Amino acid sequence: VNANRGPMPAPPDSATATASAWTFWIAAVIGAGIMFYGVRGLLADQTGPALTSFGKWFIGADVLHDLVIAPVACTIGWALGRVLNPPWRFPIQAGLFASAVVFVIGWAPLRGYGRDTVPTNTTVDPLNYVSAIATVLAFVWIVVALWVAIARWRQRHTTLTSPTATDRNQSE
Amino acid sequence: MTTAERGSASGLEPKSRRTPMSIGRDTMARVQSRFTSPLHDERIAAWLGIALGVCFATAFITGLYSHFAQHPPSWFELPARPAGLYRITQGIHVATGIASIPLLLAKLWVVFPKLFHWPPFESVAHFVERVFLFPLVAGSLFLLVSGLANINLWYPWAFAFPKAHYWAAWITIGALVAHIGAKWSITRSVISRRPARLPVDDAPETARVPAVIGAAHVAALADRRRFLATVFGVSGIVTLFTLGETVSPLSKLALLSPRRPNVGPQGFPVNRTAYSARVRRTAVSPDFRLIVEGKVSRPLSLSIDEVRSLPQHSATLPIACVEGWSTSQHWTGVRVRDLLEMVGAAPDATVHVQSLEPIGGYASSDIDTVQAHDPDTLLALLVNNEPLELDHGYPLRLIGPGRPGVLQTKWVTRLVVA
Repeated sequence: VNANRGPMPAPPDSATATASAWTFWIAAVIGAGIMFYGVRGLLADQTGPALTSFGKWFIGADVLHDLVIAPVACTIGWALGRVLNPPWRFPIQAGLFASAVVFVIGWAPLRGYGRDTVPTNTTVDPLNYVSAIATVLAFVWIVVALWVAIARWRQRHTTLTSPTATDRNQSE
Repeated sequence: MTTAERGSASGLEPKSRRTPMSIGRDTMARVQSRFTSPLHDERIAAWLGIALGVCFATAFITGLYSHFAQHPPSWFELPARPAGLYRITQGIHVATGIASIPLLLAKLWVVFPKLFHWPPFESVAHFVERVFLFPLVAGSLFLLVSGLANINLWYPWAFAFPKAHYWAAWITIGALVAHIGAKWSITRSVISRRPARLPVDDAPETARVPAVIGAAHVAALADRRRFLATVFGVSGIVTLFTLGETVSPLSKLALLSPRRPNVGPQGFPVNRTAYSARVRRTAVSPDFRLIVEGKVSRPLSLSIDEVRSLPQHSATLPIACVEGWSTSQHWTGVRVRDLLEMVGAAPDATVHVQSLEPIGGYASSDIDTVQAHDPDTLLALLVNNEPLELDHGYPLRLIGPGRPGVLQTKWVTRLVVA
């Protein structure tokens, strides 16, 4: 799916183009060798259902990202861009991005997946992760609120101090 | 104006002359035209790419070190000093992995419009470059998802995590090397020049007045800076709220970590409990013996009281788990090198350590010559001057400097000297 991502850079002149092509082909050969080592090791270590499972997760992560996560992120960003105006727009988009990442990282402890794996081990997931994640999100959104407040203050300050068209004409 | 003429005027071919290639091109052009944000920008992509490259290279090197520590090739000897080396390398490994999550998501969003580039490739080199992008993106996502699940002890798959993660890292790094080769020139060019001015053609008709274009340019630059600052800031925030599982002064901030370094029996965590290891009876049995055998002139079989009567030594050593948490504790017990001397082992002896644990990948471990003769490699009886709790390896556990936690074998009952 990602084989369509990113065109080859267009070098500015022929000397640079030659150097760039050499850099690419040398890197491609070295990279292919390293990948071959990895694939060979993988095939030697993982067979049958384990290899199938690996394939599902390896390919599935990419497909899920390209077909679901990225389009959803783009759609939300686009919708917020239409609904919100500066100085609200960017801080809120940033706050949502931060919140999403916090949820990605906190999801497993929040659901207690580790505790389910080793129920006798009380040192796994030792916190109340509802309040722990709420605390992190509160931190994120306090930063967002401060950001908006500063941006609004600066916007207002700039509007009040910038000379009007009449002032400029008079000074000329 | 007819429909065909409207198509031509908008750069599209009339319907009657449309081929699959032109349909594909038009479709992709329409999709690409939807991405109007100036943040889908090569300069942002370059900076995020550099940050990701540094993080992935760091995680790869520290991951290799962890792999060699657990599965040493013939040429590798695990250094005993500095005693906290593995704690540092594995802490960095997990921290860079977590820090990479927002970086990778942002990078993929920035370059997402290029997914719809048409034609799919323009030359052989272009084709090869794009072929490498699949293992790069899939591998990066796989490494971060599987690594994150592993630190949470969550295994919703049928493959063996350590091996799959290890080989996926090689595949991803190989693709990364090729990608760096492809992007080296443009990345250098982009980061070494001042940000380009917005092309005039991109500005609305009514805005093609120098002052207005200048304002739009300044606003776009500010957007790019804010975007990068946000992504790096989020990366810093999630690092801040997880790093406390290995950096003790930050432990109260470890709100997103599945472990706290000061939570557990005797004040620190456990990875494998006595219940899971099925040693709850054998570890407390009065018949317990520590046996030292193999290439020795005087084999030993000691009761736990006899082990307690041997010369004791104390050391403050870290216990550092592959999942990223670590903590330093004060251990007291018998030096392994003293036991080797008692049994008349060779000066270059190595030791295979066996646990009471009947099965499991970590029911035994090996101590190389350097580790075996280190004065701080102990069979510990006490931690912080208290007898070990059952979950921490009572009656005896191995603790040595610079060793991964999984090699600090618990419930030790046999040393086989080689």
